[in-house]
Amino acid sequence: MRKFTLFFVFLLFVGMQAALAQTAVKGTVTDAKDGTPLPGVSIVVKGTLTGTVTDINGNYTLTVPAGYNDLIFSFVGMLTKEAKIDGRAIIDVTLEDDIVGLDEVVVTALGISRERKSLGYATQEVSGDEINQVKTNNFVSTLSGKVAGVQVKTSGNIGGSTNFLIRGSSSITGNNQALIVVDGVPINNDNVNTTDQLRGRSGFDYGNAGSDINPNDIESLNVLKGAAATALYGSRAANGAIIITTKKGTQTYTKKKVYGVNISSNVTTGFVDKSTFPKYQENYGGGYGTYYYGDPPYGGFEYLYDINGDGELDYSVPTYEDASYGQKFDPSFLVYQWDSFDPDNPNYQKATPWKMAENGPITFFETPWPYTNSVDVTGGGESSAFRLSYTNQDQSGIMPNSNLKKNNVLFNGSYDVLKNLKITASANYINTMGKGRNSTGYSDNIMSSFRQWMETNVDYKQQKDIYNSTHRNVTWNPNSPEDLAPAYWDNPYFQRYENYETDQRDRIIGFLQADWKINAYFSLMGRYAIDTYSELQEERKAVGSAAGEFGVGTTAGRNDVTSGYSRFTRSFMESNLDLMLKFHKDLSENLNLSALLGTNIRRSRVDQLFASTNNGLEVPYLYTLGNSKDPMLPPEELLNEIGVNGVYAQVSLGYKDYLYLDATIRRDQSSTLPEDNNAYYYPSVSGSFIFSNLLPEVKWMNFGKLRLGFAQVGNDAPWGSLIDTYVQNPSFSGNTLYSVANTKNNPDLKPERTNSLEGGFEMYFLKRRLGFDLALYKTNTVDQIIPASVSFATGYSAKFVNAGEVENKGIELMLLGKPIVNENFKWDITLNWARNVNQVVSLQEGVENVQLAALQGGVTINARVGEPYGTIQGTDYVYLDGQKVVGSNGYYKISPTSDIILGDINPDWNAGLNNRFTYKDWALSFLIDWQQGGSIFSLDMYYGMATGLYAETDFINDLGNPVRNSNEDGGGIILEGVKEDGTPNDYRTRADNFRVFGYDKNPNAAFIYDATYIKLREVILTYSLPDKILKTSFINAVSFSLTGYNLWFLYKDLPHADPEASQSSGNVQGWQSGVMPATRNIGLTVTLQF
Amino acid sequence: MKRIYLVLIVLIGISISCTKNFEDFNTDKKHPAEVTGNTLFTNAQKALADQVASTNVNLNVWKLFAQYWTETTYTDESNYDIVNRTIADNTFRVYYRDVLVDLAKAKTYIAAEVNIDGNEPQEIIRQNRLSIIDMLMVYCYQDLVNAFGNIPYSEALNIDNLSPAYDDAFIIYKDLLTRLNDDIAGLDNSEGSFDSQDLYYQGDIDMWIKFGNTLKVRLGIMLADVDGGLSKDAVESGYAGAFTFGENCQLNYPGGTNSNPLYVDMIASGRHDFVAANTIVDIMNNLEDPRRQAYFTQADTSTDPSVEKLAYYGGNYGYQSPFSQYSHVADAIQEEDYPMVILDFTELAFYLAEAAERGYNVGGTAESYYNDAVKSSFIHWGLPIDSVNAYLANPDVAYSTAPGTWKEKIGLQSWLAFYIRGLEGYTSWRRLDYPVMNIPEAPRSEDGSVPKRFTYPINEQTLNATNYYLAADAVGGDLMTTKLFWDKY
Repeated sequence: MRKFTLFFVFLLFVGMQAALAQTAVKGTVTDAKDGTPLPGVSIVVKGTLTGTVTDINGNYTLTVPAGYNDLIFSFVGMLTKEAKIDGRAIIDVTLEDDIVGLDEVVVTALGISRERKSLGYATQEVSGDEINQVKTNNFVSTLSGKVAGVQVKTSGNIGGSTNFLIRGSSSITGNNQALIVVDGVPINNDNVNTTDQLRGRSGFDYGNAGSDINPNDIESLNVLKGAAATALYGSRAANGAIIITTKKGTQTYTKKKVYGVNISSNVTTGFVDKSTFPKYQENYGGGYGTYYYGDPPYGGFEYLYDINGDGELDYSVPTYEDASYGQKFDPSFLVYQWDSFDPDNPNYQKATPWKMAENGPITFFETPWPYTNSVDVTGGGESSAFRLSYTNQDQSGIMPNSNLKKNNVLFNGSYDVLKNLKITASANYINTMGKGRNSTGYSDNIMSSFRQWMETNVDYKQQKDIYNSTHRNVTWNPNSPEDLAPAYWDNPYFQRYENYETDQRDRIIGFLQADWKINAYFSLMGRYAIDTYSELQEERKAVGSAAGEFGVGTTAGRNDVTSGYSRFTRSFMESNLDLMLKFHKDLSENLNLSALLGTNIRRSRVDQLFASTNNGLEVPYLYTLGNSKDPMLPPEELLNEIGVNGVYAQVSLGYKDYLYLDATIRRDQSSTLPEDNNAYYYPSVSGSFIFSNLLPEVKWMNFGKLRLGFAQVGNDAPWGSLIDTYVQNPSFSGNTLYSVANTKNNPDLKPERTNSLEGGFEMYFLKRRLGFDLALYKTNTVDQIIPASVSFATGYSAKFVNAGEVENKGIELMLLGKPIVNENFKWDITLNWARNVNQVVSLQEGVENVQLAALQGGVTINARVGEPYGTIQGTDYVYLDGQKVVGSNGYYKISPTSDIILGDINPDWNAGLNNRFTYKDWALSFLIDWQQGGSIFSLDMYYGMATGLYAETDFINDLGNPVRNSNEDGGGIILEGVKEDGTPNDYRTRADNFRVFGYDKNPNAAFIYDATYIKLREVILTYSLPDKILKTSFINAVSFSLTGYNLWFLYKDLPHADPEASQSSGNVQGWQSGVMPATRNIGLTVTLQF
Repeated sequence: MKRIYLVLIVLIGISISCTKNFEDFNTDKKHPAEVTGNTLFTNAQKALADQVASTNVNLNVWKLFAQYWTETTYTDESNYDIVNRTIADNTFRVYYRDVLVDLAKAKTYIAAEVNIDGNEPQEIIRQNRLSIIDMLMVYCYQDLVNAFGNIPYSEALNIDNLSPAYDDAFIIYKDLLTRLNDDIAGLDNSEGSFDSQDLYYQGDIDMWIKFGNTLKVRLGIMLADVDGGLSKDAVESGYAGAFTFGENCQLNYPGGTNSNPLYVDMIASGRHDFVAANTIVDIMNNLEDPRRQAYFTQADTSTDPSVEKLAYYGGNYGYQSPFSQYSHVADAIQEEDYPMVILDFTELAFYLAEAAERGYNVGGTAESYYNDAVKSSFIHWGLPIDSVNAYLANPDVAYSTAPGTWKEKIGLQSWLAFYIRGLEGYTSWRRLDYPVMNIPEAPRSEDGSVPKRFTYPINEQTLNATNYYLAADAVGGDLMTTKLFWDKY
């Protein structure tokens, strides 16, 4: 043992010797043409992985390990330059434009910096600026259209989740979201929305935890698209990874100390895009027809109550109906409406004109003024550097009483303890507080009222006034004049101000890292990182609310209650211990070798508790579990712990400047797999060939590269999927009740695998004015671990199996152009285009289909053999020679089964076109984001067409009469199609009741829409104060930006809604119910640098 | 180079160590991996009663199909739309996943319980429990067959077979009868069974024997038009040991957390989805049936606010029926602790009346059992005995004078008596074809008639397709209009 210690001390000593021999250099990089500083230039010590990037003023500092004397300076669009150090401490360099290489350094898996040209797989970098200019609640949403092969879908809910797919969906029921890594630390991006919420029943969208990352801290973001890129991370990155590098302070390596301060303020406002909100018909009010008690022609009214107390029956609106298929408006007719029932209402016992409301649902939305303020301080000295940043975001929503506040403090610093030993530490505290998130899905969602269930005669300003004056639930939807309790819907203001949720997440992400240069060839990195948060979600339902599902349920489901309080707490902790030994050596003049060997010890733990009152609150307005009317149901508890131990190795060979080869292998041992079979290996190989370096005589070609990669990634099972357990139901008269769990676990699971093959072709020509990067890939995920839905006749709803293969094939194209470049004016174009085709190749033996979700409306989302992942299945029309068949009852015939494929959730392709114009101190950029194809089932149209809300349900028919007239009165419609005998349909179907247009008499197929959209996603206009103005002041830079986000739909097929909107992120997409309208956001940002 | 080896050793050492907690990590510390069979049995009893009671439009729409109630605004289910809310799927889910699999698992656990020293009473108690469980399984399977026809049976409840084949409904019935005979024979009243964990009978073996025999009569009478011999045997061998006056099987809900689902669906939900259907109200009004007051409330039908004109008034079945205008479900039925009947003497007596008409030897005449059944119903609904006698004296009710064939008489009265027991009422109508049902506004059934069965779950179309299509062919098409095997007329 003593011998060992001695040896260790010796080793340390030798290491220090080596470290002492380091040298530091610094300098400024400028443009050879005009002498302006060049920010973002990559500097690498030749023959090592050591490198840095110039700051905004073109300055850099770099520690050069002993034995190295060459620096490589590279920048996109400029000639790479090498410089000898030769003992100098300051090396200033000028770079020339328009030349050969693509030598930029990018950060890849595990934080390893690599020259982009040497990579055998596709990556695409986005700068921090591009992410930070437009303020959204999740930086991921600003990537839409900016990276080829990335599909981003923002739910539209305040603080809501963002679905993020790279190269399509590969896992049938598992996580398909990309891994987010910040400075080498994986960041939890869980979406903790309930199953009910994900399947569109009810609940709030609490967003993804990844939204905690502050875009203002992002220096650059690199998207690693394929398995080859991410093989080293293991299974978690099988869907690709986003590698984020945060901004850092600058080490000077001299006695000089530098400081900098940045301040940025943004205010953004949003307006509802009316093309994503219902356009209502304006001629008919509340009711379902003319079958109420009123005498003709007022059969749409009740004639049951004496409302004004004069002893005579009065005409009143059937307020308990949440539809607008009722009495035709006639402003000259006075009728008793909801506002005449409640004594506190100014219109109490007063009849009012029967007309379309002046203040419809659109007036319900508010104009928010969210702001974001950031300040950061950076500094550096001879042996240290730090950055401290603080961002405060206060985002109110368009729904009344909604807001989201975030505070984010990040400190990172590095210190050279010894010349060869650098310690880096980072701590990030994030506090997120949400209040009044909008409810989502089918029930209890104000938006589903606006889109599916409401009366067009209801004036929302009156609803607001009566709530403000009474603070009671005086709803437009009371049961009757004698029973003012809500039939289905609360006063929406009461709901927003009384039934609001609140949530809070406190999170700390931090790491401690040591980098030790052992000698000229070896270096060792050790890092311990944690990501931990605690989250609290509280939901309230005030006494007197409309009944709805709430709180904890039993195996039979959740009961409807009219009041309640629920509390969900979750604590999350993940730790990662990484050790990595790196080796680099030039084996000969032409051949160099890099290798690394590492281990990763990961532990994660989730501890959740969900408890709620049962059957309502005893005391109104007291929101505590103790206030439960009946004894509480057993809380839902979850404690899940996962451990994964990984070892990995990578070898990279570089031959001359044109041939590169990478190989990796990783072994993981996971606690979620059966103990005797819990370790698995997976390899990857990739290479790149820069043929342009062999063809210097081809002058028009600046750069040309071919790349090829193969990778396999293994994946473990979800936690707790091996051993069966039982579920407890509330005890019955003192008897304990247990039930067999709904999902059958499987003790024989083996790891699933993703095999991926990709190739790429990259070229730049015409002095780099034109370039492209083309990628082709094929990914097969096999032996998938899925809780496959099974026939209920088995006694279960699902069973964990190892089966199934999903294939994703795709092509990605990135085009870069600089049509105009001159001294004052520059025009840059980037086009990203990607097409992914996926197919469910097989499932387990004898099973043709895995159901991902059965949704309201009778449609299902499925993975079906031979079809793309995510088919939308339901009922279809019956066709005869391609014509829809109309049955003898005058309505369309509906297919007898509901298993007909009506569409799928996958777009045909996605594209983004970004143009950037720079003129002197002005810059203008705009991004057009295009999704082609994909399908959506709209529950909003399914119901809203039946309840007669939409303008499409009120038109002049072929006879020149209102279609809603009775057939005797010349109304009705002849549906397009043929009769069962094949002759053209000539039945005139009545349209004076709710059946003809909506869900009742139409197949699901009638409400399937093309999800295509073309959006003007971003417009950014920036003006920077010229240097000559600032020269004399202490301010270094000032800029003003005017930003626009989601400004305009150039095209969409889906009526009245944003095709992107959804209830949540996750695998259940392609279905909309009560989604939020899109907002056009306009913001102003001022940035100051000192 | 040695130090590099050292580093290597450290790296590998770290990665291999600390896997000793791995098994513990993956253990669910919040849910048990082992429970007793009795707790599963208790759970299944409650789940079964909940399903029978429920009027949740996602779960149980038979009170509508039987035309006891109709819907106020959203009349989809009254118009036989079971696709929109995947009601057939939910029926499979509740019976197979929430009841039957718990019973099957309870059997496995109870059969495996260790018997100390071959203790005989312990063995009898075990056998009693197994027999009781099996009888409840028979009950569930009969409900499923009566809803769909052929269903997965011999290959059901086996998670190793993800594509369970459908068995012929008649063959299932025969097997259920065999099982029931064995179960009854397996009950020994010298010892107990579940005690208080039996929510229906607190472990009373004598009552379970009667339950078994009553169920046997019910299975037997269903086969009357299919296999007269088998039917006769079952009814004749069962009736003597079956329920007598006042006996039944029901779950007494304590209220609160364990409230009757009718309370949950109609009161706690705050919704006003159901009113009385004109089908039943009109008939009861014609007969001046005193049970109206126990079944429904009265509605004010006056058009003058100063005058109240109360009457039993049912909404047109399958047409929108504003809640305020029609009779509601009686308040008592919507109480938290309203008990739900699973099987009762009233039902038995009607079957025996029918058996007598069919010439089976059941120890009484059709008329005597008919009268018993009506009396039993009145008593169950809390009506005074003299009102029964008056009712039975009504020439339209009295067995000797009531109009129509025995099928019409028994059909009408049993349907009236089965009120709120939707499946029994609907099944009675399907077998005896009486009373005449109304046709709703826009029926979803293929030919617009009252459905004869549920179509199979959408899940089966997508997850068990081969067997689904075979079964659809075997029953004569997966249509609502396809008659079940016992529905010959």
